[in-house]
Amino acid sequence: MNQEALTKQDRMRIELAVKKISWTLDGRVPRARKRQVLNELRSNLTEAAQHVGAEQAVHQLGDLKALSNSYLELYRSPFDLRAGAFWAFIAYAAIQLLGLALFFAFRAGAVAGGAHGASYSFEIWPGFGPFAGKVSQGGSTNTFEVLFGSPAHLLIVALAFAIGSTYRGLRARRRTQTSR
Amino acid sequence: MPEDGVHDSQLLKGVLSLALMRLLADRESYGYELVTRLHDLGLTEVQDGSVYPALGRLERDGHVTSRLVASTSGAARKYYRLSTTGYAALAHIERAWQSLVRALEPILSKPVPAKPEEALP
Repeated sequence: MNQEALTKQDRMRIELAVKKISWTLDGRVPRARKRQVLNELRSNLTEAAQHVGAEQAVHQLGDLKALSNSYLELYRSPFDLRAGAFWAFIAYAAIQLLGLALFFAFRAGAVAGGAHGASYSFEIWPGFGPFAGKVSQGGSTNTFEVLFGSPAHLLIVALAFAIGSTYRGLRARRRTQTSR
Repeated sequence: MPEDGVHDSQLLKGVLSLALMRLLADRESYGYELVTRLHDLGLTEVQDGSVYPALGRLERDGHVTSRLVASTSGAARKYYRLSTTGYAALAHIERAWQSLVRALEPILSKPVPAKPEEALP
């Protein structure tokens, strides 16, 4: 069997396997290293496919998740950008939920206090808080504002990113050192 | 229980690096070629997916060096060869392996009894 014998479907099958590995390594392995690993894998898969067919070549790799994890264990970078992005998003979402809860609490308080035809505003941390609320009760209009881009807001998200991106790498390295 | 000719995957995993280093001591090879060389030796249970990261580990530890060679089949092949450190490590591991085999020989050469002996008082 030679190179010409590989059909488009064969090449797609190989590429799909490579992409699956790539997905796990994305943001966790330095880009240059990832490219080297995937190029070598693609080369070996192509070679194998010419001898045993693409389907068997991919099958011979075994569990792709286990293979990805082996590469990850070998080449993991100190920063896991995907984990960082995940925790930054979680922190962002938590702040939004907190903002929503504060809005409801503030509105309930304003209504319970018999407020009407006036505006009320608050900040958790004056000049630095991520939240600034304002309720205008001119009969039926209530508004609430959240300062999405406040320094505190950005600081919390950045902290979540920094901790999230390094924590797993540190833990993995410690585990590797312990097992040696 | 493994049948004759079928090798225990955990045992194979333990000696995979040794086998790869020994093969590379003979001549330089690329990943898939090493897989076929292992299969030709009867180690057909060895999966490609365990050989490629094992080569990466050997390279990380400095036991092998690599070079890229253009291939007619597409992407360049990555050829591995044993480094000077690798030859020294291989000699050491081979001695350790032979020592282990000698230590186990008296136990494993005896026929397996049908049931455990009764403990003597």
